[in-house]
Amino acid sequence: MPPKRKAQAAVDSDDYDSPGEEALSDQETFDKLKEAFDVVAMSKRARATHAIDQASFLFKKCDQWDAALKPDHASRPLWIDDAGRIILESFSPVFDEAQDFLINIAEPQSRVSRMHEYTLTAHSLFAAVSVGHSSQEIIQKLNEFSKTALSPSVVAFIEKSTSSFGKAKIVLKKTLSYIESDDPAILQRLLRDPTIASCRADTTDGLIKEAAPKIGVMAIPGTKMAAGANQLAQSAATAEPQRPDEMIASLREEDDDEEVAQVHSFQIKSEEREKVIKRCQDIGLPLTEEYDFNNDEVNAKLDIDLRPHAQIRYYQEKALSKMFSNSRARSGIIVLPCGAGKTLVGITAACGVKKSVIVLCTSAMSVVQWRAEFLKWSNISPEDIAVFTSESKNRFPRNAGIIISTYTMITSTRNRSYDSEKVMEFIRSREWGLLIADEVHVVPANIFKKVTYSIASHSKLGLTATLLREDDKIEDLNFLIGPKLYEANWQELSEQGHIAKVQCAEVWCQMTPEFYTEWLKPSSVQKRALLSIMNPRKFQACQFLIDYHERRGDKIIVFSDNVYALEKYARKLNKAYIYGATPQAERLRILENFQHNEMVNTIFLSKIGDTSLDLPEATCLIQISSHYGSRRQEAQRLGRILRAKRRNDEGFNAFFYSLVSKDTDEMFYSSKRQAFLVDQGYAFKVITRLEGLEQRPDLAFSSPQDRRELLMDVLLAKDTDADEEKIAGDMFGSKYASTGGRAKKKNGVRRTAGTLSELSGGQDMAYIEYNKSRNKDLKAKGVKNDFLRKLQRGSAGAKKK
Amino acid sequence: MVKAVRGTLVKCDASVKAMLVDIDDKNGHEFIIDELDEEHIIVKETKVAELKQRLQNMMKERLKEPESSDSE
Repeated sequence: MPPKRKAQAAVDSDDYDSPGEEALSDQETFDKLKEAFDVVAMSKRARATHAIDQASFLFKKCDQWDAALKPDHASRPLWIDDAGRIILESFSPVFDEAQDFLINIAEPQSRVSRMHEYTLTAHSLFAAVSVGHSSQEIIQKLNEFSKTALSPSVVAFIEKSTSSFGKAKIVLKKTLSYIESDDPAILQRLLRDPTIASCRADTTDGLIKEAAPKIGVMAIPGTKMAAGANQLAQSAATAEPQRPDEMIASLREEDDDEEVAQVHSFQIKSEEREKVIKRCQDIGLPLTEEYDFNNDEVNAKLDIDLRPHAQIRYYQEKALSKMFSNSRARSGIIVLPCGAGKTLVGITAACGVKKSVIVLCTSAMSVVQWRAEFLKWSNISPEDIAVFTSESKNRFPRNAGIIISTYTMITSTRNRSYDSEKVMEFIRSREWGLLIADEVHVVPANIFKKVTYSIASHSKLGLTATLLREDDKIEDLNFLIGPKLYEANWQELSEQGHIAKVQCAEVWCQMTPEFYTEWLKPSSVQKRALLSIMNPRKFQACQFLIDYHERRGDKIIVFSDNVYALEKYARKLNKAYIYGATPQAERLRILENFQHNEMVNTIFLSKIGDTSLDLPEATCLIQISSHYGSRRQEAQRLGRILRAKRRNDEGFNAFFYSLVSKDTDEMFYSSKRQAFLVDQGYAFKVITRLEGLEQRPDLAFSSPQDRRELLMDVLLAKDTDADEEKIAGDMFGSKYASTGGRAKKKNGVRRTAGTLSELSGGQDMAYIEYNKSRNKDLKAKGVKNDFLRKLQRGSAGAKKK
Repeated sequence: MVKAVRGTLVKCDASVKAMLVDIDDKNGHEFIIDELDEEHIIVKETKVAELKQRLQNMMKERLKEPESSDSE
């Protein structure tokens, strides 16, 4: 039965069949919400009546000419315009205080050295409310910092967003879902809605009343506070657990004693949960999701703690404290630069929740890395961490544990093999304390919806370095996971030595006349891209930079999206290279050599190296071709050198070069790509001429003859060669998870005419292999010849005897 | 009989030269008198204005302009 087997094999290859442009079931809800809470739209309405002077058209929406400055404006750091945009002067004496406040209530847009730009959005205000800021407090603080009086439209916007957002929470208690709020009026309003009322589980008319949990008792593992908390926990454990009725009594006493904040709640049917959340979004009262993991006695506790040597850094603590304030786990997204310890944040969160955890990553390679990191940083026993990929399908033996898998495995819609179906059943059938979504920006909303439907998790944590997509799907994550909880400031972290300082440069390479003439001719897009990548001047610049940095003792990674160019460059320069079709064993050997062998200082990587490849040795990065105008790729590639080992050396700088052929499309894309990094405060220097390039005697392609040969080569290259590499199981290539693209197959048989002597190399003077692949050199040394090996074995055996 | 043509020396980037040659090729070689090297050519003086115009059109058509910041 061959067909059946085939189908199963296809599913197991981590492969994903494209779901098509199916709209989300609640697409309109999203659109409606976006529309209603769009500050731009709101200010446009307000703008219609705004006074205009001669210069207004230059400022468009940010025209604030008629706003009066406060008398002591010089000592206040903020400019706030009607559209909710905030400019912060970073040289102000109260900068730190203002920044701490703004990071809570607004989204950072751009943080260059002298001024930072933030935007107030509905989501950022939602996040602010959920960490305990009241709207009064926000408005008052903003007013305090602002140079001008707050405009009424901004105040109205803040009040509107904060009054509707975050007032009601959906809480899982003893695996039952409750809707909880400080204000009974809001719950009454919800209950008046027929849809929600029908989903209510308890039949009583009144609301359940409870004392609010104390805020800020949660100690994040790995911090100083945790040491104290552990002692407390131990002493508490020895004391007898309180009987329930006593507990209520003590609660009542507390009520009498002082004005304890009260929460009201009603129960809803767990199976109707999604419906209720959707409905609440519709009527403008979105629910926050929180998980009271301390009081969850139904789900088994997972024995996991950070190892004593794991010290978490202050920004990780800040991020986690926003997640765990009031000692419940809140769903949301944490944004940290690559190399700043996202994995450790995830692991610490898992140690905080101490329940079953499911981790989703983008590729099988990072699954392995996550598992290794868990074992390294926490005391979890190896058998409690299961891996669910196409190669291995484990389950953990006890009641609680960790499963690490990929998005594609979870969301696959095709028939699964028997084993994986069983594991999926296992995943679907239980409740998860925490869902960690790694590299969450790559996941399309509809795939993520599928994930959330099939995995019942109490809280969700999204981790990413670059919360941006070239399409506008990023907004949807706000509803599917939660608001952005924390975003780190890249420049601040590099100042403090947590990530490396990087010098960025864009090298402009002239096109040679021959190449440019060809480029001008009408031909396919791929061919033109290939011509600009293979530009001999670019090649020379690349050679020059590699030599220069190798002599400085740097370890260099060269990135090329295009495999044809990758191979050409690497072979000509005699360096090792890795791309999608490189066998796993060879890959590992090359990477090992790069890390430890002083003779191998440069490697060429295709797209596969963009993410989740941990090479702390690398200190210099050269990019020769890239994926159009993708800001994310640029940032992810930069991330490869941010974790440089040597970053704390005196005066150390990592280097990031982007080689661009002048007068081609590359210039246009390059300017787009840099946008994100520029917003993070990186400055790109433009280099038009490399000093000393012409003097070098051994430049590649220095004679017109060589260049013409190269041009012929490039022109003869097939269009398929120029295509971008597609990697199976990698989510970066397309909008959906890989669309079944597999590494290129070897060419088939070809018929050519020739003489026998020519085929055997007899026509040439001698046989030398030019453009040899360096990969082969790195093979382990050993006796190759079968006969000699046999001889050796024989002699070894003789000795034993 | 020697025929003299008044020419203008054009100094430009290699890539712009390639564009000029391309224009010349497509229009029956009525612009360029001689190509000196990678960055210098001599064009007919009478055709300079037209050549400039055509070059501009070509640049507009072939090269994408980096977007200016589109903040309203």
